[in-house]
Amino acid sequence: MNALLSAAEIALAQHCLAFAQEQGAQQVRITLSKTLLNLVGVLNGEVDKITHSLDRSLQLQLFVDGRFGTFSSNRLDEEGLEAFIRDAIGTVRMLEADSCRSLPAPERLAKDAAGGRELDLYDEAVESLTPEERRRLALQSVAWPAEHLIAEEGEYSDSVFDSITLDSQGLFARHTETSFEIGYESTVEDAQGNHFSSYWWDAAPRLKDLRLKGCAQKAYERALAQMGPEKIPGGKYTLVVDTECAGRLLTPVLNALGGYNLQQKNSFLADSLGKKLFPEQLTITDKPRTKGDTGCRLFDSEGVATREMPVIEKGVVKTYFLNTYISAKMGLEPTVEDATRIVVQPTGGCATREDVLRKAGTGILVTGFNGGNSNPATGNFSYGIEGFFFRDGAIVHPVREMLITGNLIGLWNQLLAAADDARPCLSKRVPTLAFTQIDFSS
Amino acid sequence: MIKDKAYYFHTFRVDRPVLDRLITEGLRSGGSYCDLFFENTAYGNLLLRDGAVTSGGSHVDYGVGIRVLCGEKTGYAYSESTSWADMSECARAAAQIADAPTEVSPFGSQNPSRGEPNPAADRYPEQEPWLSTPMSGFLPFIQRLEASVKGRDNRIIKVIVNLSFQVSDILMYNSLRELKWDTRPLGSVAVTAVFQQGAAVENKSTSRSFRCGVEMLSESLIKDLSDDIVRGIDARFEARRPKGGKMPVVMGAGASGILLHEAMGHAFEADFNRKGTSIFADKMGRQICPKGIQIIDDGTLAGNRGALNFDDEGVPGQKTYMVEDGVLTSYLHDRISAAHYGVKPTGNGRRESFRYAPIPRMRATYMESGTAKAEDLIASVQKGIFVDEFSNGQVQIGEGDFTFYVKSGWLIEGGRLTMPVKDINIIGNGPQALADLQGVADDLIVDPAAWTCGKEQSVPVSCGIPTVLIGQLTVGGE
Repeated sequence: MNALLSAAEIALAQHCLAFAQEQGAQQVRITLSKTLLNLVGVLNGEVDKITHSLDRSLQLQLFVDGRFGTFSSNRLDEEGLEAFIRDAIGTVRMLEADSCRSLPAPERLAKDAAGGRELDLYDEAVESLTPEERRRLALQSVAWPAEHLIAEEGEYSDSVFDSITLDSQGLFARHTETSFEIGYESTVEDAQGNHFSSYWWDAAPRLKDLRLKGCAQKAYERALAQMGPEKIPGGKYTLVVDTECAGRLLTPVLNALGGYNLQQKNSFLADSLGKKLFPEQLTITDKPRTKGDTGCRLFDSEGVATREMPVIEKGVVKTYFLNTYISAKMGLEPTVEDATRIVVQPTGGCATREDVLRKAGTGILVTGFNGGNSNPATGNFSYGIEGFFFRDGAIVHPVREMLITGNLIGLWNQLLAAADDARPCLSKRVPTLAFTQIDFSS
Repeated sequence: MIKDKAYYFHTFRVDRPVLDRLITEGLRSGGSYCDLFFENTAYGNLLLRDGAVTSGGSHVDYGVGIRVLCGEKTGYAYSESTSWADMSECARAAAQIADAPTEVSPFGSQNPSRGEPNPAADRYPEQEPWLSTPMSGFLPFIQRLEASVKGRDNRIIKVIVNLSFQVSDILMYNSLRELKWDTRPLGSVAVTAVFQQGAAVENKSTSRSFRCGVEMLSESLIKDLSDDIVRGIDARFEARRPKGGKMPVVMGAGASGILLHEAMGHAFEADFNRKGTSIFADKMGRQICPKGIQIIDDGTLAGNRGALNFDDEGVPGQKTYMVEDGVLTSYLHDRISAAHYGVKPTGNGRRESFRYAPIPRMRATYMESGTAKAEDLIASVQKGIFVDEFSNGQVQIGEGDFTFYVKSGWLIEGGRLTMPVKDINIIGNGPQALADLQGVADDLIVDPAAWTCGKEQSVPVSCGIPTVLIGQLTVGGE
């Protein structure tokens, strides 16, 4: 398999591009993608499910007489697509004109992504995997029967994603990658019949980097660790958030820097560009072009070239995520549509979670969030948490049925430490974090 | 609007012999059951932002999913083309779940033909089909809706209106020779308004969604959405976070039904129980909440977002009592779990699209009305909170722990609503909360909003509840 997208399919996309222009579209962007997935599910030590699929989609973005529409179909016969495009152009023409709609300026487009494999995210090992090998890779269960274990589910999958983005200005950008994933979830039961579950997972663009061994065992151990929770009174505690879930606290900040929220005045970071709203020790960078790293990409969905850029630097907001349309609406320079590979710079002299716990002394370690939300307009949040009470840097016992509340700007201004332990498989490289004086309810 | 069988055969370019050959291919390795799910879904959407409908589109999703069961094990594959070559390749891929090749016809005498029944009921009252109306026909409604919303409150600085619809043609066939077909419409209108009062900014969203046709875009819907978007906005500007802790919680009728969905409904889904992970796995037949309480999952509410003529395994839509008089009486089953428990499927085998194998999912989940009065429940609370608008519910199936984010509510002091509250979480345990139900009012509302459940796959659902009083839950606060 050299690529999922065949030459004939690429030619079909190019034909659609030309056909849309013939039908009256002044500008056109087309994204054609295919995804091949193989999955093996495991239940209690036995293969329980296999899935095989091949997805494809052709998406058209049409700019017609100052109007804009987005259309897609997975029926890829030429005749049917031509009829679809004719109808689509008719639909666009009935919309209201919007002078802010256009393709990106040509100089912003990616020019180094014609091959698809420039980021070294494709592993040819996927081509030779057999059904039997996939079953073997999936079967990572702990030895049955295991103490307290009542159910264990696991899943192995591998996928190939191949996509091209073309536009009427001559853009041809391709992204091809493989992904290998393993995940296990265990449920244990105590003597009183209470259930406790937890999971562990790993993912990598290359099979050799996938950490299969110990995945199920770790899920089992994490579930066991939750047995015997104790309730502690609410109040202000130092909050340590494990790298596994720390991204949950950063995501609403990134969303608030997103163009749609800013333009709709639905962002607690409106008018924040260039302002020091966060602490000196906080630096967050988007590093989208690191070869071989999960989630990296050379271009965004508009075909705009990504680049390394500071998002927050020494506490100062440095970037809004603005695509061509929103930037025109706001009268600001465009950047990229959204964040790609966010990296939080370590601070506080801690490398690992254990270092952070020692530095924090006493508090609550959060290992998972259970529901909750934040208000995009105000930044106020409330999240359910699960985790452990720790004292003198050592875990004492699990806690549950607790909540944290606060405001996101206030939270980040109480940053005590950021470790250097973000796992490579995480889409946002947010390490273990510590914050002081956080409100917990129980 | 359900059409003649020939329409579906034509849409998917198949006939009965082809379906039989596919089933035979799927069972060639020794599978015990095979089913086919053909789907052609047309989507359309229009978006008004900054006073103009400047964005819109349409989308087509077409394909077939092929499932092979070997006991309780599942092989699944799908194709986005219905050519014989692609479909038969998928059938062979799904067949790999079994490993005992057989040449025996899958249609043995133990699986006689069940005939070709038409739907017993048409639960989608579609008078004006979505696909027969040009997109331009929807513009006046969107513009009138925006004007109506803006006219309600001069603090509104932004309005977003999103109108979307989808129409799915479905054809199902299985190794029991059951052939079913259906056309499912679904229309949704969502409105978001951003309010500014001085320096303070608040946003509010509301939506309506129904399995019906274009006739839903009425003046009464405009009034309903406009009323809803400004309801409680004054209180929201004044709202504070209450002091947190354990306290009684009164849940308002309607949208609070998300509590039932998240905290109880998921734990009643039979796959979690079959696998032993649900907190209710060993509680069938037991009293799990006070007598007099009925909890239902219902696919028979005509026009409801969760309504189904057939589920996605071809099982007729039905009304399922999960709790009767406080006793757990039924899980929600697909064919696999029904066979495991030796009961009939309950019509809960659902999937997001042909890309997914069906699993037990809710439809419209609600609690029947009780006899109390809502105002009496509030008056009985000395110190607690009243909540009526939620988002982001989540549950841990094993533990039964749930949380809900409260977008708006009131502090109750001395039996009266005294101060608006917002941006807090409620956390509790499903079985404990059920057992701690201290009152159920007589005011059931099935919420008409566009609820979507995201258990592995996204499916449209709805939920409802009368006003209820729960003795004690943890409320997050300052």
